[in-house]
Amino acid sequence: MGAKISIPVRRIDAKEKAGGWAKYIGDYEFDNLQHGRFLRSERARAKIIEIKKPVFPEGYYYVDASDIPSSGKNNIQMIKDDWRVFAVDEVRYIGETIAIILGPDKQKVLDLLNEIEIIYEDLIPAFTFDDALACKGGAVHGTDNIFAEYLLNVGNTDNAFKNADKIIEGKYETGFQEHLYMETQGLVGTWEDGKITMYASAQCPFYIRKSVAGTLGVPLGDIRVRQVTTGGAFGGKEHFPDVIATPLAVAVNKIKKPISMIYDRIEDISFTCKRHPSKITIKTGLDKDNNIIAMEIDTLVNGGAYESSTPIVLQRAILHGLGVYNIPNARILGRAVATNTFPSDAYRGFGAPQGLFAIEMHMSHIADELGLDTSDFKRKHFIKTNDITITNSKMHDDVKLEEMFAKIDEMSDYSSKVKKYANDPVKGIGIAFVNHGGGFTGNGEQVVIQGVVKMKRLDDGKAGLYVSVVEMGQGLQTTMRKIAAGELGLSIEDVVYDNPDTDIVPDSGPTCASRSIMVVGFLVQECAKKLKAKWEEGVGTEATHQYVHPEEFVWEQETLQGDAYPAYGWGINVVEVEYDPVTFEVKTEGVWAVWDVGVAIDETIMQGQSSGGIIQALGYASIEKCELKNGAFMQHTMADYTIPTSLDFPKVETVFIDNPYKYGPSGAKGAGELVFDAAPPAYAEAVQNAIGKRIYDIPVTPEMIMEALNK
Amino acid sequence: MVDSYRPKDLKEALSIRAEHGAMPLAGGTDLMVRYQSWTGTLPLFKNSIMFIGHLKEMKYIKKEAKDKTSTLVIGGTATLTSVANHPETPVVLKEAVLSIAAPALRNNATLTGNICNASPAGDSICALYALDAVIVIEKTGSRREVPITEFITGPGRTVLAESELVTAIKVPLKASSVNNFTKVGTRKANALSKLSFTGVADYKNGRVDSIALTFGAVGPTVVRSVELEKKLKGLSGSEIETKISAILEDYSTVIVPIDDQRSSAVYRKKVALNLLEKYLRELSRHE
Amino acid sequence: MKEIKFILNGKEVSVEADPLKRLLDVLREDKRMTGVKEGCGEGECGACSVLMNGVLVNSCMIPLGAVEEAEIVTPEGIRETEKGKLIIDAFGDAGAVQCGFCTPGMMMATEALLTINKTPEEEEIREALSGNLCRCTGYDLIVKGVQIASERGKDLW
Ligand SMILES: Cc1cc2nc3c(=O)[nH]c(=O)nc-3n(C[C@H](O)[C@H](O)[C@H](O)COP(=O)(O)OP(=O)(O)OC[C@H]3O[C@@H](n4cnc5c(N)ncnc54)[C@H](O)[C@@H]3O)c2cc1C
Ligand code: FES
Ligand code: FES
Repeated sequence: MGAKISIPVRRIDAKEKAGGWAKYIGDYEFDNLQHGRFLRSERARAKIIEIKKPVFPEGYYYVDASDIPSSGKNNIQMIKDDWRVFAVDEVRYIGETIAIILGPDKQKVLDLLNEIEIIYEDLIPAFTFDDALACKGGAVHGTDNIFAEYLLNVGNTDNAFKNADKIIEGKYETGFQEHLYMETQGLVGTWEDGKITMYASAQCPFYIRKSVAGTLGVPLGDIRVRQVTTGGAFGGKEHFPDVIATPLAVAVNKIKKPISMIYDRIEDISFTCKRHPSKITIKTGLDKDNNIIAMEIDTLVNGGAYESSTPIVLQRAILHGLGVYNIPNARILGRAVATNTFPSDAYRGFGAPQGLFAIEMHMSHIADELGLDTSDFKRKHFIKTNDITITNSKMHDDVKLEEMFAKIDEMSDYSSKVKKYANDPVKGIGIAFVNHGGGFTGNGEQVVIQGVVKMKRLDDGKAGLYVSVVEMGQGLQTTMRKIAAGELGLSIEDVVYDNPDTDIVPDSGPTCASRSIMVVGFLVQECAKKLKAKWEEGVGTEATHQYVHPEEFVWEQETLQGDAYPAYGWGINVVEVEYDPVTFEVKTEGVWAVWDVGVAIDETIMQGQSSGGIIQALGYASIEKCELKNGAFMQHTMADYTIPTSLDFPKVETVFIDNPYKYGPSGAKGAGELVFDAAPPAYAEAVQNAIGKRIYDIPVTPEMIMEALNK
Repeated sequence: MVDSYRPKDLKEALSIRAEHGAMPLAGGTDLMVRYQSWTGTLPLFKNSIMFIGHLKEMKYIKKEAKDKTSTLVIGGTATLTSVANHPETPVVLKEAVLSIAAPALRNNATLTGNICNASPAGDSICALYALDAVIVIEKTGSRREVPITEFITGPGRTVLAESELVTAIKVPLKASSVNNFTKVGTRKANALSKLSFTGVADYKNGRVDSIALTFGAVGPTVVRSVELEKKLKGLSGSEIETKISAILEDYSTVIVPIDDQRSSAVYRKKVALNLLEKYLRELSRHE
Repeated sequence: MKEIKFILNGKEVSVEADPLKRLLDVLREDKRMTGVKEGCGEGECGACSVLMNGVLVNSCMIPLGAVEEAEIVTPEGIRETEKGKLIIDAFGDAGAVQCGFCTPGMMMATEALLTINKTPEEEEIREALSGNLCRCTGYDLIVKGVQIASERGKDLW
């Protein structure tokens, strides 16, 4: 860690947050605030025959699709617009919005809600992958329940399989995961100066603006979205706030008063998007020398009842399907299916964790089958600079996996522990190698986003920074200031970076895809250089900078061919466990991580990302069970859906290596999602080695371990 | 909206109980959560409520010695933290209490509340069954003592009448050389029980003199079989060792758990028996 | 409705409300002490942590009627004290703060811990924070923050 920018500073927002000064959405006061609550579908798939409503007292409203202005549409403009603002005539999943009940007194709103009776005519729902593929009850989406289907191909897979000496197969499954940001979803919509303004706990103010404007049928500029301090998001506040904001905007438009829609925890766990469950089958052909010569992967993800960002999640899952390996002949089929479950959506990693879990476990299983050491087997197949990728381009990165392996081996004593624990009845150690593409897939930054940033010289030697990416805990308020201040020779306190307001900042794109530092941060750095050059022109001088696509990265979206990502973050995790043969519980004894994130903009912030991402991922791999029963999540409270506490896992030992990326600010690459990717397979492999039985699914619960041991 | 009362002392509390049947609220950690509603609205209580957490007369823990036996008397509003910290608290009870939630909750929640809540997964209950705890119940003008096994009649159900309050819990302090409380929770801390186990036993002259084995969250109430325990009394350590599989077989007929979202019946049963086996092995080595 | 008196951050206050109203709502709505957060409303997360008569409790599970005459301290009541400032600085230096939603509660838990144990071991810190959930940090840097506070605050607690 040599770079000057990596030297930690105290986070700019630490004090106001720690002391409770920072204001989150529920902390603001609005005059005459009304409170809204959703009337939701209680059925997974049904026709609405009738909605019986009580008489609403004055000041209380029932807002539904009939309140959408004639210029607007009952659709939420996301990537597609299939998700309806309000369900009409029929419902597709439990929890679907039917109406908003609102008024000044919350208890009265609840009472009214309880008095409403909905008469349904039930239809046959589809919940599982099998249901979806068989179009049980008729297709939920289109004619075949397929939201998206992609086929990736490199080399000649069929031929290679013919020449294979042995073939090994495995099927891997991952479950739903709830984001469980500590602050629940919430927005307040107001009517200010004849304009709808949304105050939002959100990642993407411009997404909200677009969806609300689309629903109301008004120009984008007629809607203002102001992000407020956001208490965690992890992808859960990427598109989902649109699902609250659009009906809310219809209500505000109707009554022209401020309305708050803030979820309580039970509502949040029961009725928000989760990580896509996946089912991935991998078949591998090996030659006589145990080299992989062919691989075929079939990836399924459950998108739920509406599409939202499911196709893009699926793309990322399959684009990371081969993990960090050079497989000369490979074919990956990816399909995202529609079911009558709550729509799945973005969650830190965005499909990559599912794809990477499957390939890492599969590689481990092959090694096991062949009696080889996992890390030796995996290392033999590491992709190297200029190797051909699954999208028939070259790996441009300077791949430093070997150097990283040496480091983690030294830190964790991995190699000797693997041998030592081979015959240990209760101890195990696991390792996983991952990469994560930074920024939007393919040419998304170039074609879809075209991000712009702006800077301005202010009074008192300060500079204003205007970007639409948000602080949500990941440290952007500090790291962006560091980048700008570094160029301008200012202190970070002298860079003003307020929570984005769509009336003020240009659209630099959403806060997702590990793009904020790598892509937007680079724009900020370039913009700061421009401003510096004009600094002497005085107060008020502005500079803007727009994304320019580096020519060496080429992509064809129709066929998914070319450079899927300009650069990857790389990582290795080692997890050591001990299991209790009496209770089948697992105790994690050690966690180690080595990351290549280019250059860390701030080492402490990156330490926080590493520990935080890994513990969240270890929760996903072990205790975070989220299951469906008749289309509804069985877990509703934080007692049911258990995330790690301070006692569940030990301290994570993290090291970063430098590997600057030329189009990243000071060499930085994406990091926020990478840190999630490696821990689940490393944990599962550690448990597998401890119990001496293969693990194919996560979360690995004690119940599952017991069953595996019984087999 | 329901009425609420704040008695100034136990006497007043008992008369409010007699007059209105108001539901006692001690720490509120069960009640406030069970009846919680939307942020900013009142909990949805169905009956009137009486705050009792502040009543000093019941906020005590003391050791009483009579003849040769001594008893720990835990007042009706003593918090879980105070129970855990008391030097005389039997080790299995201490561990059971410390396995409940986290420090902030234990600072306010009461042991009595945990018992009166009568959840099959109530962690202190599992230990208190094994310790032969006795519940002291009072109403204006009268007082009765009921063994905990009779106090709890089903999930969430007790013998408490509307006019009564639990004023104390008596825990006999008996010699016990092999003690184990194990909770298998949903995570390492702040977890609800998938199941729990308590074993307490003592040897005299190389033979088991007293033994109690209880299992939480594997049935509608804590499972304890005095019949089966009788079979173990009088055995030597080595006799226990030879009988382990027979004992496990016996117990497998009384442990009949269910599936729920927290865990499965198969797992609960298997682990309950594993814990028992582990305990018996330890017991057999101790004599 | 009833008038209920208690001591809030050292000052006697009186609140006119239903005694069954959650202390959390009283603090946030009636007293505008929004440093107290609601993360779950069911005793699981610790975001609503306050001190009651000197010990850590979850204000979401305490009805107003139960705090009559009690002493309540919220983040607002300690953030400007010497100890509060020290914890906040220690958290800042450690990198303990990410989204910040859990942090005021963490500060309260730290204050409560250091009051009874000036020099806690890592395991004791983890135990003391086990009712305060954080989804961002993975706890490592919060633990470090408490360690720094404990080192620097030797003479304060
Ligand atoms: C987040 C969380 C985690 C938890 N974890 C656990 C756990 O791990 N293990 C576990 O066992 N429990 C757990 N609980 C349950 C709960 O905390 C305990 O049951 C607690 O001990 C109840 O005590 P209380 O004083 O708060 O009860 P209250 O809520 O005040 O009362 C509970 C019941 O007891 C009755 N009652 C109370 N005092 C008396 C009295 N003197 N006379 C007659 N009736 C009375 C009440 O009327 C009510 O029915 C948890 C709860 C929460 C919210
Ligand atoms: S809000 Fe009180 S513990 Fe979560
Ligand atoms: S910092 Fe976000 S929950 Fe702790």
